[in-house]
Amino acid sequence: MKAAPALAACVAAAALLLPLPWLSVAPNRLLPGEPLSALAALGWLVAPPCLLLGLPALDRVPPTVAAALALAAALLLLVLTGGAAAERLQGLPPAARAGLGIGLWLALVAALVLAAIRMQPLALATRALLVAAALAALLAAASSGAFDALSLAVEYRNRADAVQAALLRHVALATAALLLALLVAAPLAWAGFRHPRLAGPVGAVFAGVQVVPGLALFALLIPLLAALLHAVPALRDLGLAAIGPAPAVIATAAYLTLPLWRGLSAGLAAADPAAVAAAHAIGMGEARITREVRLPLALPVFAAGLRVALVQAIGLVTLGGLVGAGGLGALVFEGLAQFATDLMLLGAIPIVLLALLADGLVRSAETRLAVAA
Amino acid sequence: MRGLPPLLLAAALALLAAPFGARLLAQALGADAEPFPADRLAGLALTHAGLALAGVLPAALLGMGLGIAVTRRAGRGLRPAADAFAAAAQAVPPVVVVALAVPAFGFGLWPTAFALLLYGLMPVLRATVAGLESVPPDIRAAAVAIGLPPSRVLSEVEWPLAWPVVLDGLRIALVLGVATAAVGALAGATTLGTPIVLGLQNQNQVLVVQGAAATAALAFAAEGLLLMATGRRAGDAA
Repeated sequence: MKAAPALAACVAAAALLLPLPWLSVAPNRLLPGEPLSALAALGWLVAPPCLLLGLPALDRVPPTVAAALALAAALLLLVLTGGAAAERLQGLPPAARAGLGIGLWLALVAALVLAAIRMQPLALATRALLVAAALAALLAAASSGAFDALSLAVEYRNRADAVQAALLRHVALATAALLLALLVAAPLAWAGFRHPRLAGPVGAVFAGVQVVPGLALFALLIPLLAALLHAVPALRDLGLAAIGPAPAVIATAAYLTLPLWRGLSAGLAAADPAAVAAAHAIGMGEARITREVRLPLALPVFAAGLRVALVQAIGLVTLGGLVGAGGLGALVFEGLAQFATDLMLLGAIPIVLLALLADGLVRSAETRLAVAA
Repeated sequence: MRGLPPLLLAAALALLAAPFGARLLAQALGADAEPFPADRLAGLALTHAGLALAGVLPAALLGMGLGIAVTRRAGRGLRPAADAFAAAAQAVPPVVVVALAVPAFGFGLWPTAFALLLYGLMPVLRATVAGLESVPPDIRAAAVAIGLPPSRVLSEVEWPLAWPVVLDGLRIALVLGVATAAVGALAGATTLGTPIVLGLQNQNQVLVVQGAAATAALAFAAEGLLLMATGRRAGDAA
């Protein structure tokens, strides 16, 4: 038995068997509820998921089966908890909510980590197939009403339109920030490649931005943009405003310049000097060398920098909720202001899933580019 | 004097955070409002520093412990998992961790301390692993050959050699912690982020400038002081 899968399985089992809060029944969406442990909430039904989580930790179980079992365990935990919640809510007034406790989250994360570890040796297509199958099963369970009694599902039903709009807005803001950062980082990386003396100061400035606290930079951009608009009113006609998407996109882009610039610079330097010399020798011009030798060799390294920047963009745009930009951050901060935990989770969970999805997509593109190069 | 530039920057930012400085800047930008009193700002700076330490100290202990564990023979299998965990913890921004942690820990200091713990883990873990791996194998072999037990090989040979690199990681973690503790203001902790959030809610840009400048000043001051302290130590050893 390998150490990492065994550890994940042990964490999941501990979350199921120790008296951690698993489910809590509260009179409404704001008050804290009466916590129940997994054993109290599910009874003997904790046994099947425990078994499903133990098998994937064994080396003898082949990776495909192990990953499928771990994913099935995660789904089963959710379905069983949804059923237990529906049972507990019977006869209570409609405002009553059945919230998920830290034990369930811990077990779910441990099960997913276990699946991710066992999936590692599998081919990309097999992994994608497993994840797609798990998502399809999750959606099927959701549409059959298995989770209807859970507080998070109730909150989502009440706000489905707002959540979907916030999700799209979040993606749009992150994409805009990424493009803006590329617009700044790409020319500077090229200049630093051509004139290496420039690279030091540019890198120092980009690294310096990272030390500025995120909350401070987002907030400071409002007075700075207001002053700029005051001085150059013509910018207002271009649709720029001191509150809204502008400060969020600019502040996020400021943090993305470092990983992008690093990836671009390292990529440009990635071409073997011997390959460049050989290209010179056969009479290629500079432009053609860049196009046909440097860029193909640089692409996998670019992609790695792009992945880091994209994941950071999705996370950082969250703070845009504070400066009126909307996005999933707005839901998070509304939840924090109302003390409504479900609303916070409704904003925060999609952010994490979005970041994981972006990471996985760019990672698969990276491996494909590396193979092509 | 590697520490001097950050300390000078910290002093300049502290002047900007002081009520008269923030007011001057806000007036220059075309805004005017009541500034936050200096004594309350100093009190917030203290709780801010305390919160940063409460998050970074456990991150330091956990990071060093994990770093030592995954470089031992028995713990080598955990290395990829520990790396992946630390990288994931670093990829999720603290504000999202705070939002995920509030339902579990409630409002107050703990969600932010937890977020800082996760955020500070990777720099410490990476530095510990890098420091221990930079110990030349023949030195380790010599220590084993003269009959030292594994615990003393670690405490008397590997750890002293790795320490300067580990110290660098600890400094980075603490500076990151001080800079990010401001998000605690969103989850009910009183930090230097509190004036920022108050300023955003009341459209008082003087408060925003004060909170932002004070947070950055504290982060740069931590960086400068730690650089000075660790720089002197490295000089002593040489």
